[in-house]
Amino acid sequence: MKGFERLNPLSAALYYLCVLGLSMFSMNPLMLVISLFCAVLTCIADGTVKARGHLFALILFIVAAVLNPLIVHKGATVLFYLNDRPFTMEAAVYGVTAAVMLTAALYWLRSLSRVFTADKVMYLFGRISPKLALLISMTLRYVGLFKYRFRRIRDAQRALGLYDDGNLIDAVRGNARVLSILITWTLENGIVTAESMEGRGYGSGRRTSYAPYRLHGTDAVFMLLTALLTAIAVAGTAHSSAVFYPELNFDLLNPWGIAGTAAFSLLSLLPLILNAKEAIRWRILSSKV
Amino acid sequence: MMVIQSSRLRTFLRYAIPFALIPALVAVSALVFEGQRYLIISLGIAVLALLLFTAGVERRNIGSRRMVITAIMTALAVFGRFIPLFKPITAICVLTAIYLGAEAGFLCGSLSVLISNIYFGQGPWTPFQMLGFGLIGLIAGYLSRPLMRSGLWLSLYGIVAGVGYSFIMDIWTVLWYAGRFDPALYGTSIVSALPFTLLYTISNVIFLLLLRRPIGNKLRRIKIKYGV
Repeated sequence: MKGFERLNPLSAALYYLCVLGLSMFSMNPLMLVISLFCAVLTCIADGTVKARGHLFALILFIVAAVLNPLIVHKGATVLFYLNDRPFTMEAAVYGVTAAVMLTAALYWLRSLSRVFTADKVMYLFGRISPKLALLISMTLRYVGLFKYRFRRIRDAQRALGLYDDGNLIDAVRGNARVLSILITWTLENGIVTAESMEGRGYGSGRRTSYAPYRLHGTDAVFMLLTALLTAIAVAGTAHSSAVFYPELNFDLLNPWGIAGTAAFSLLSLLPLILNAKEAIRWRILSSKV
Repeated sequence: MMVIQSSRLRTFLRYAIPFALIPALVAVSALVFEGQRYLIISLGIAVLALLLFTAGVERRNIGSRRMVITAIMTALAVFGRFIPLFKPITAICVLTAIYLGAEAGFLCGSLSVLISNIYFGQGPWTPFQMLGFGLIGLIAGYLSRPLMRSGLWLSLYGIVAGVGYSFIMDIWTVLWYAGRFDPALYGTSIVSALPFTLLYTISNVIFLLLLRRPIGNKLRRIKIKYGV
């Protein structure tokens, strides 16, 4: 299941920008339900979200759906009165729609976080500003280095008999000492790194960086398809309307709206389609062997 | 430390963003969307503001030593975000800003959010968080003299930063949820976020007072010894 993840980060960034943008800004209930469905499917297919994640999403959904009608009292159709405050159908429908939007965005972002690994973030930022990219990559390196050095210092302290997990005060003191050593060491070491960088001619010319991504034909096709589907979906949203207050008034099923929704559904399914294509190809290739 | 290399682009951004791009965005929101799409507009403004700060904070080139030290402090802030409940991220950004300057503080704040969100989940809130923490660092850098001298000012700054940050992030929560600014929802979200705001503010003050001497001494030593 690697088809979508192997795309150039630029294509993936464009894809998430379009899907998230449409899901978050359209407020078209039909498209939102499709978006949520596809996002959940994508996250389940590649195992991004575990049971706890689904539970969290469910709680978020319920809270968001219930919150709106309890606080907002606009709307013409009063269902019942709660503490002398009207509980309206319009506010309830809006709450559910907003909850679908939030949950869909949550699932898409989980998928995004999984696809955008640190090296892909680097690749995208390196194009805008090489210096920022270097800063980010150094920071990422130091995060890993901190973990490793923390362990090394702690082990050394233990061997010296200076570190005790036995009681809380000693543990806190020991950790503080390890942290202090860690910071001093890394700062001092950082100066050496800077000297070494300058010694090797950093800053004397343009900096290039290696990235294992190239724009393939697949990327071009994928980006064009994404742009086209997004354009149709945007046109569809522009021609359909969803008014919540004061009375529900949905106009979603005109020809433009249907075309836009269809385009959006295809767009939401693209990662799944791409991954399924790769899986089928893999099966065909391995069955030939 | 001149994050954007081309000086022409930098100058362009420094003038175009506050005087042309942000007003244009606001005008578009008023005319085209009839004030309905606050979320997309505020997101755009946050991204533009981030660009403006990266383009225009400092005009001279500072060199690799300060850059490496900033990277280390940013990594420390990211590392600290893994501690459950009490997060030293603000304290580390503020201390970095005080000793290494406003620009380093801004970069430390915004980049530590960007990088730790790789682990915690990126989202449309990322630009707002980056702007929030970046500003906490930037302002601390400008106030470095009183903040360096007394722990009282430092804890006061920690409180203001904690409460201010939560209030600003609540605006964003309301915009995302309701699609427009709703005072009633804003009030509810402030109240429901109160435990977090409190925890956040307390951990700001605790960590600022706790880390002030040790990290401050280390950074001062590096500054004196190597002239960063």
